[in-house]
Amino acid sequence: MIARSTAWGLAWSIVLGSAGGAQGAVGPNLGPYDIRLFATPAAPAVTGSARLVFAPSPFGVSVTADGHALYDVRVTAANLPAPASLGPYATYIAWAVSTDLAHWVRLGPVANGVSTVGPVDLDKFLVVISPESSLVAAHAGPTVLHGTSPSGWLQSFLTHPLFRGIPE
Amino acid sequence: MTRRLGPSLLIGLSLGTLVGRTAPALAQTTPPPQDSGAGAMSGMKGMAMSPGMQMGPGASMSMPIPMPAGMPMMPGLIGLAPPGAVFLPGAGVDPATLPAAAPRTVVRLTDGDTLDLTAALVRRTIHGHAYAMYAFNGQVPGPLIRVGQNATIVVRFHNRIDLPSAMHWHGVRLDNRYDGSVGVTQDAVPAGGDFVYRVHFPDAGLYWYHPHVREDIEQALGLFGNMLVDSPSHDYYPPANGDQVLMLGDLLMQADTLIPFGATGPDFVLMGRVGNVLLVNGEPSYAYQAPTGSVVRYYLTNVSSSRTYNVSFGGAPMKIIASDVSRFEHEASVASVVLAPAERYIVDVRFPRAGRYALVNAIQAINHVRGEFVPEVDTLGVVTVGPAHATPDYATQFATLRTNRDVARDIDRFRPAFDRPPDKTLRLTVATNALPLATVQFMTIDTAYFAPVEWVDGMPDMNWLSTSAQVRWILRDESSGKENMDIDWHVPQGSIVKLRLFNDPRSFHPMQHPIHLHGQRMLVVSRDGVKTEDLVWKDTVIIPVGSTVDLLIDASNPGAWMLHCHVAEHLGAGMMTVLHVDPG
Repeated sequence: MIARSTAWGLAWSIVLGSAGGAQGAVGPNLGPYDIRLFATPAAPAVTGSARLVFAPSPFGVSVTADGHALYDVRVTAANLPAPASLGPYATYIAWAVSTDLAHWVRLGPVANGVSTVGPVDLDKFLVVISPESSLVAAHAGPTVLHGTSPSGWLQSFLTHPLFRGIPE
Repeated sequence: MTRRLGPSLLIGLSLGTLVGRTAPALAQTTPPPQDSGAGAMSGMKGMAMSPGMQMGPGASMSMPIPMPAGMPMMPGLIGLAPPGAVFLPGAGVDPATLPAAAPRTVVRLTDGDTLDLTAALVRRTIHGHAYAMYAFNGQVPGPLIRVGQNATIVVRFHNRIDLPSAMHWHGVRLDNRYDGSVGVTQDAVPAGGDFVYRVHFPDAGLYWYHPHVREDIEQALGLFGNMLVDSPSHDYYPPANGDQVLMLGDLLMQADTLIPFGATGPDFVLMGRVGNVLLVNGEPSYAYQAPTGSVVRYYLTNVSSSRTYNVSFGGAPMKIIASDVSRFEHEASVASVVLAPAERYIVDVRFPRAGRYALVNAIQAINHVRGEFVPEVDTLGVVTVGPAHATPDYATQFATLRTNRDVARDIDRFRPAFDRPPDKTLRLTVATNALPLATVQFMTIDTAYFAPVEWVDGMPDMNWLSTSAQVRWILRDESSGKENMDIDWHVPQGSIVKLRLFNDPRSFHPMQHPIHLHGQRMLVVSRDGVKTEDLVWKDTVIIPVGSTVDLLIDASNPGAWMLHCHVAEHLGAGMMTVLHVDPG
């Protein structure tokens, strides 16, 4: 089993999901609110996507007092097997995970179809969906879907020729 | 080395890049949160200064501009300057010879009264340095015009600045011929000229006046003022112990030098001129004193050319009351207030304990070179709360979130139109030509992510070098393909128009646009398919990158009304059209 709740497990599942490539384009070819979700070997038939929607706000855009965007996450999933088929699990939970995998924020339960969960106020994050034993359990189950927030595609150009004075 | 000349058509990321993004080591390059402190040159921290740089009125534009901390100027842009001559007010006049700008006064007017409003040069002193700038009646902001709802006043405008001008009464549903839209409702008032406006105020609330000629210069340098229209209803708003009317603005400066403006058209056209010195009512720091437990009503207006604010008061609880043209259906508690350019919000703030509460603008900037978010906190001022207790004590009233049933009733007749298909759709996009090669190269590779809102100018060097001769911002009618002033929309007076705005994330430089419609009021009924839960009448609406926003326009006021982006430089680069409301 590859997809465990460890950082290495998740990183490896990301590689596998990306390497598959069959699920279409990612990042630049999607809109600024769209997240492609990748399946893992734990449940390879699962498909999904997510869309960030500003949490309700009087201002049109929703941010925290310190300026972090505040999004609800609209998850669309299909072919999620019964959680119990993957182990001692009762429900699927969506998590927002910091890019260093140190912080896991429970967003809420998801199921096949459309589920809106959240909010999330991380600048860059991963969306992870895993089966869990209950709605309040700590994260323990294997990752079945995961994706990167659009902001996660921000690239470093520090060493790019444009910033080193080298004509491209 | 092979020199790449063609545009980037496809961009990919290696697997190693993807995995590496999750490595904690990347986080060590993130600078700590910055706080310039009250009264400091808020945005100047960490700015890259050029040794020996001299600048003054009439100097060339070959000066480097301030760069954000940790952001190098691209070598390919060094030594470049925007094409064309530069402009600073006063044509080199010694600021010491000008009258000093005075704080705003309140002018209470009643129906039929007349006000003389003169735009002229003044001396403004910011952080000890004097500058020639503009003011209405010698005041920055201009006089606060306080009138009763349904009053009509006469304003005799006298243009005594060194540019043509005209007065726009932002948000006021007034007679079209007095709207101040140059090229649509009137010719510009030449330097030395005059114009008489009759301004009728049908709606209670907070409005503002500003020029509608070269806003990137005139508005930025002091020509703005508020109008506060009082309802006859004594409990129109909840009770408060005091009120403050704040106009939030910014100036772009390099040390003690004001960055000059393009003489024939705006520069900084890609994302508008974002100042690095933040101002409250024209001053770099704001101070207010209140007793413990005070409920203070803040009337907030964003008068910046491009900056969107996210302000709060040191954790003091806030309650949103009203916006551009009405109160909300339901009052709500908020953690901060987001104001796009030209928007207004009215909020009540309660200061529960003695102490100092910093008025801050807190945002997450993006370092486009490092590909990281960077927290920025600018302290705009301080509210000092003394030990004495406020009387009366409005704690209970503050904790009560009122429902304004009259607002909801007023909206009721529009609700059947909420879900119908849009009558008109505009795509917000941009066209460019002859931008510096390095700008084009960078902007065609930095396309993996566009923030819905750019709170600060992350690449001011590229932005500075973009002028209205090179960049054309576009409102495109999706049904006809026509753009900007070629769009010829006519709707009958009394109609309800559903307008869909789509901010194209795949344009050359997507960014948010505060879209303003003159002379009417409108509702935001949905954003990206999500219905608005708490409605309020607006005249200016922020459209984030990639968003689709549906508006319902109450086309009740006949005339030719401008619809445009309120980023001054975007307006100056063509992003405007006219909605003709034909008399019924």
